[in-house]
This record gives sequence, structure tokens and C-alpha cells, in this order.
Amino acid sequence: MYGDLGTKLVQHAKRTQALAHLPPYQTEIVRALTREVRDLDKDVNTILAPYAGSFNPSSEPATACSVLVNHLCMRRNKRCLLAYHRVRAEKMEEMCWRGEDVMEEQLPKGNGEGTSMGEGGSSEKSSLSPEEEEYVRQFGDLLSAYKGQWTDIDLTGSLEPPRDLFIDVRVLKDAGEIQTEYGAITLTKNSQFYVRQGDVERLIAQGYLQKLS
Amino acid sequence: MDIDDILAEVDGYTIPQETRDLQDLTRAWVTERSAPEILPWPAALMERVLERIRKQIELIEDQTSTADPKSSFKLIILQTELERFKFLIRSFLRSRLAKIDAYTLHHLTDPPTRARLSESEIQYATAHSTLLHRHYYSSFLGQFPEALRRLDDRQGGVDMVEGPDLEKAVFVRGLGGPGGEAVEVEVEGTDIGFRMGRGDVWVVRWGAVRGAVGRGEAELI
Repeated sequence: MYGDLGTKLVQHAKRTQALAHLPPYQTEIVRALTREVRDLDKDVNTILAPYAGSFNPSSEPATACSVLVNHLCMRRNKRCLLAYHRVRAEKMEEMCWRGEDVMEEQLPKGNGEGTSMGEGGSSEKSSLSPEEEEYVRQFGDLLSAYKGQWTDIDLTGSLEPPRDLFIDVRVLKDAGEIQTEYGAITLTKNSQFYVRQGDVERLIAQGYLQKLS
Repeated sequence: MDIDDILAEVDGYTIPQETRDLQDLTRAWVTERSAPEILPWPAALMERVLERIRKQIELIEDQTSTADPKSSFKLIILQTELERFKFLIRSFLRSRLAKIDAYTLHHLTDPPTRARLSESEIQYATAHSTLLHRHYYSSFLGQFPEALRRLDDRQGGVDMVEGPDLEKAVFVRGLGGPGGEAVEVEVEGTDIGFRMGRGDVWVVRWGAVRGAVGRGEAELI
């Protein structure tokens, strides 16, 4: 049926909005939809071919109707595809803003905890399509370029209004030594520190530290 | 009573520039966050505030290096203030970017809207929409029939370029005219109008009060 695949794709998009991570890219559906559009276009062309450009819709209502339905189906498929890609792109942008490594995040974490850390990941299948990976890379560049104009502000910083200058943090993963205005601190697992929020914000976002309230 | 009330009560002509800038920045931030459309880029204000932040950072770095224990309390106050300023600007910029991202093509193609963006925001929006278009193109649009490849199609009764909903309801507080008197507000397209005095709070369509907000006769809350 025309449009079934489009609906499926939009349902995927809807589900993606509610998920914390990106589900695998639906390569099959996207490909089938594009094929459907091309077939529909071919149909329209074959229907209109005998008229050689002088088609008059009011004299041939039946043909006009089928052409119209084909056209609407194509447009609808296009909208579905656009919506699906837009939702995913927004999700990826959000991850970029939060400073997460999108490529790394998207690897399926099947083989137990601990082992998935630090691996290159090229052998495992990513849930991004190659085009999406390219997009993430370029968006990351764009973001850092825009951020570069606001070095004093740190655009990716927390959007919570700051309450205290200093906060208590607990170290969840070894993060090595960091430099602050008050000297160097060595962050070893399970230790606790009272540090300046601005110094450790990135580490909190990356999951090395946990903020204690 | 919150900080806005206090700020609103202060007479704008006797307070120093710095305080007024903070007030303006706070107001710009609140307005930007609640208005459905993007507002003019406050270039002069941003320049002054950024300049001051730069100086403050230098001052703090300078004083930290001397490491006098007595000055550290003052330093903490300075740093807290700095963090707050940074937060205001960050949040302000981010809410503008969120609007730009939501309706990128509208912001780039509609001349009056485009004029409200700053130079770097236009750059960002252009680069972002090019990226998105290229992404769509390589993912599926490239294999579409020629006539269906555009992203700003207006055929078939549906405009693909979407703009913000200007008729969204907003909460607004009257600030009064130049002399503090009530101002007349006409709701466009209807015969309804109302008088908004200083301190009055209304829920109205954004389209009806955007002029008053632009003239500084009202502020969003």
C-alpha cells in the first residue's frame, strides 16, 4: 500500500523522541520509500507521456485523479522522510551540545559492562547511517566554530542558574589530574572534592564526576 | 517580590550604566525566553557586558596570582557575580539559537526577521541549514525526482518554510509610557483594545503586545 512505509517511519521518529538514545537507522525503510517515490514518478510520467505536455485535467478527470494521488503520495513520503531525518538530526545535535561523543554513545552495549570502554568500535555496527556520522562531524565543527566566538561564556555550560560557586563532587571514574586556579587536583575513583563548579562542569557532563546535593 | 520588581521600580535615569545594563540584560533574557519569535540583537548592550566580563576575568586572574587570603572572600563574590553574568548570556544565546534552529529557513529568508540576527548568528544559521540540506540530500533527496528536491516548496497548498506562531499567548507586565501613564493596546485584526497601566499583568497574544514590548512600555514575564 502507498504510504504504509511512511507511517512506519513516522512512528519510528515518534518513538525516537521519547528515547534517551538513538535507535538504529532504518536503512531498509528509507531505501524502500525512496524507491516508492521513484516508481510513482515513473508512473506519472508513463501516464502523461501520450499527452505530450498538452494534458487537460478537466477533459480527463480519471487520469487527472490518478496523477494527483500519485503526486500527493510522493509529497507525503517526502514529508515523512524529512520528519524522520529531522528528528534524528535534532537528537544528534542535542548530544553535541551536551558534549557527548555521539559516535561512541551509539555503539550497542551488548557485551557486558566494562569491556565497551575505550574500544575503537569500528568493528561493531553503529546505529547511525554513514551520512548521519558525517553530519554529526560537521555539526560538531560548526558548533565549535560558533562557540569559539564566545570563549568567555562557555556556551555549552550548564543551563541551570548557578547557585554556589563551589560544589561537592564525587569521582565515579578515574580522571587523572586536573588544573584549577587553586592548584592541581588528582581525581581518583570514589574520592570526594569541594571544587569550583566551572572547573568540573565538563567532567560532570561526561560522567566522570557526580554532583552531590 | 523578585528582582524584576525591584529593578522595575528603580528610576532609569539616576542609576549608573552598569546597573542599567544588568537590568536590560535580565529583561532581554526573560523576553527572549518567553517570546515566540526572535527579537532584535542588542548589539551595544552585548558589547558593553562582554567588555566588562573580560575586565572582570582579568581582575580575578590578577588577584588570584597575588593570593592574599584576605582578598579571597572578595574574590568569591566577584566570581559568583561573574558566573551569574555568564549564565545570563549563555542562556540568552542558547534560547536564540534554539529559535533559529527551529525555523532556520524562515529566519534566513524573511528579511525583517533576518535583520534581527547578529552577524555570527546568520553565519551559524546559514552553515546549519546547508549542513542539514546536504544531509537530507545524501540520505534520500538526491534520489528523488528533480521537481521534489526542494526544501522551500510552496506548491500543493503547503508552505514548507515554517515560521513561529506569533499568536501565542504570553504573560506581560505593563511598564507604562514615558511618564508612567497607562498605554493603549489594540489587538490587531479585532476591535478589542485595552489600557495597560504600570504594573498591570495581562495574558495576551504576542502579536498584540510586541509593539509595546519593543518600545519598552511592557515586559514579558
